[in-house]
Amino acid sequence: MSDSVSHAAVIGRCERCESPLERGDLRCAICGMSAPHTRDMEEVLSIQVLRCEGCGAAVAYDAAIGAPNCSFCGSVMRMDELVDPPEQTGGYLPFRVDRAEAQARLKKWLGSRGFFRPKDLASRSRLESLKPLFWVGWVFDAEAEVTWTADSNLGSRRSSWAPHSGATSMIFDNLLVSASRGLSSAEVDAVSGSYELNDLESAPHSAPPDSVDLEIALVESFDVQRSLARRRIVKAIEMTAAARVEHSHVPGSRCRNVHTSVLLEKLVTRRLSFPAWVLAYRYDGKLYRAVISGQDASSMTGTSPFSYARLFMVLGIVAAVVAAVSLAASLS
Amino acid sequence: MTSATVDDTPQLEVQCRDCGATLTMPAHTFAALCPYCASPSVVDRPADRDGFRRDRPDFILGFDITHEEATRRVEAWIHRSRLFAPSAIKQAKVTKVQGVYLPAWLYGGVARSQFEARIGENYTTTETYTTTDSKGNTVMRTRTVTKTEYRSLSGDHAAYVLDVIVTASKGLGNEELETIEPFDLRAMRRYDAAVVSGWAAEEATLSRDEGFQAGRSEAMQKVERKLNSFLPGDSSQLVDFSTVFSEENTDLVLLPIYVFAARYGAGERLRILVNGQTGEVQGKVPTSAVKVAVAVLIGIVVVASIVLGLMGASA
Repeated sequence: MSDSVSHAAVIGRCERCESPLERGDLRCAICGMSAPHTRDMEEVLSIQVLRCEGCGAAVAYDAAIGAPNCSFCGSVMRMDELVDPPEQTGGYLPFRVDRAEAQARLKKWLGSRGFFRPKDLASRSRLESLKPLFWVGWVFDAEAEVTWTADSNLGSRRSSWAPHSGATSMIFDNLLVSASRGLSSAEVDAVSGSYELNDLESAPHSAPPDSVDLEIALVESFDVQRSLARRRIVKAIEMTAAARVEHSHVPGSRCRNVHTSVLLEKLVTRRLSFPAWVLAYRYDGKLYRAVISGQDASSMTGTSPFSYARLFMVLGIVAAVVAAVSLAASLS
Repeated sequence: MTSATVDDTPQLEVQCRDCGATLTMPAHTFAALCPYCASPSVVDRPADRDGFRRDRPDFILGFDITHEEATRRVEAWIHRSRLFAPSAIKQAKVTKVQGVYLPAWLYGGVARSQFEARIGENYTTTETYTTTDSKGNTVMRTRTVTKTEYRSLSGDHAAYVLDVIVTASKGLGNEELETIEPFDLRAMRRYDAAVVSGWAAEEATLSRDEGFQAGRSEAMQKVERKLNSFLPGDSSQLVDFSTVFSEENTDLVLLPIYVFAARYGAGERLRILVNGQTGEVQGKVPTSAVKVAVAVLIGIVVVASIVLGLMGASA
């Protein structure tokens, strides 16, 4: 854990909430505390004139381009580093499921899809493509002071609800928030439990591992900026906290109006790329898709055709039985 | 800043580094444009002559709206129709425009509160009542009514209070600043003289301590709003709360603002502000006493004529 935190971007910890600060952070993204800044205090009155690097004329800040601009030769001065840099992956988790295994897993899965699937699903499906994918997500650890209020059935009098409040501390360990565009949230939910997040012996890599055929691999990159990413992470933590409060902190057996306030501390975020196999197969001319975790073939999800023939057969039998019973009842 | 007292403020003399001319600028500003060679200067001074240590800005939010765009928006704003404003507003002449970096204190902290509240939980009950039926007999009936049971609730609330902006300028009050908020603070940079260059910038004239106090009292209002939406029940009322703030900080930030001075009618003045980041235009438009009086009169006439008409019809 700590080794992945100490990568180059982290420049220190926030004085207020102890979350790591990264290069370029003006303020803590969690609590808003300003990051320490060492500045040389000049003790003399000085007048600064900015000069154009091109022609030497004095330059002024231009609102239209958001940077200082020389009005004589038109050259634009470069401002300091990007205020809000895009997110970049911090490491790739290795594939532990190979191509053959993924293919075998799909076959097995197709054969176990239950009664309402076509009988020949496993034998007639043709694999169209099988691609390795690295999808991206955030994994975070955090601590939080959570205060909450809710209505619960416990202690109720005339009304069926009674108000309750409480405070608790929570620890969040290896929570995963998807940043993937390629996988739906249902697909991420199905495979996210299968990754060995703490087994980082072969990660972080700055590039995808060599074992993957990069010619055909899909490598997703984060397409959000840091500030937005943090907002999404904080939102995910708040939702997790609210769910935990509802399940294990509000007394009684039923509750409503659950309000939580989360004071987040020590938020450590890792940006990781997760391996998965994306399969497309064709049945009866139509394409279906399945996703298999790249680290554990048993966690997978996908779509498969639905057999209306079997549904109608069942409905027919039910209708026949009902008709027979009612006929028997009317005769007696 | 643009207040009438500007003329009385002490002036600072600096020499232009480009042409050698002597510039005078109000002592509370620290950026100016040389009138002779248009060279922008940013004065960086650690302390005033009176020994009062000026705070150097921590952060700055650059202008996104150009001078032309701000002017266009103000023109559109002036010509917008307003029901009770003096008609002369539409002929208002903009006499002075200035893009200025306004100093503001950015307050943040941890707010831990204890609250007491009265929570209303609804329930339904049936009650019997007597009424007369269509034949004139007195009968007993039942109906379902919703009633509220009040319970008291006390508890804790802990949260960060972030991004509270309070003015650091005596020239522009908080109420006026609030009209053109919010600013998108994500675009904030560390203070850099390059961003101020060529624009007017004001120094903080309210001390960090004053900013701290003002920030805290605004934070208190934020906490109260948070507490009100934190309460459960079908209805709720915050009875009492006490809040302890800790780990507070205040940073000085420069905000981009255009100040337009306009004249209308018989020498009346109007100050219009434009948010230099979002383009939001606000100004305090007076209500015209004449227009309000006319509207009230029309209302009275309409009501009176209806009443008279009804009386006439019934008679």
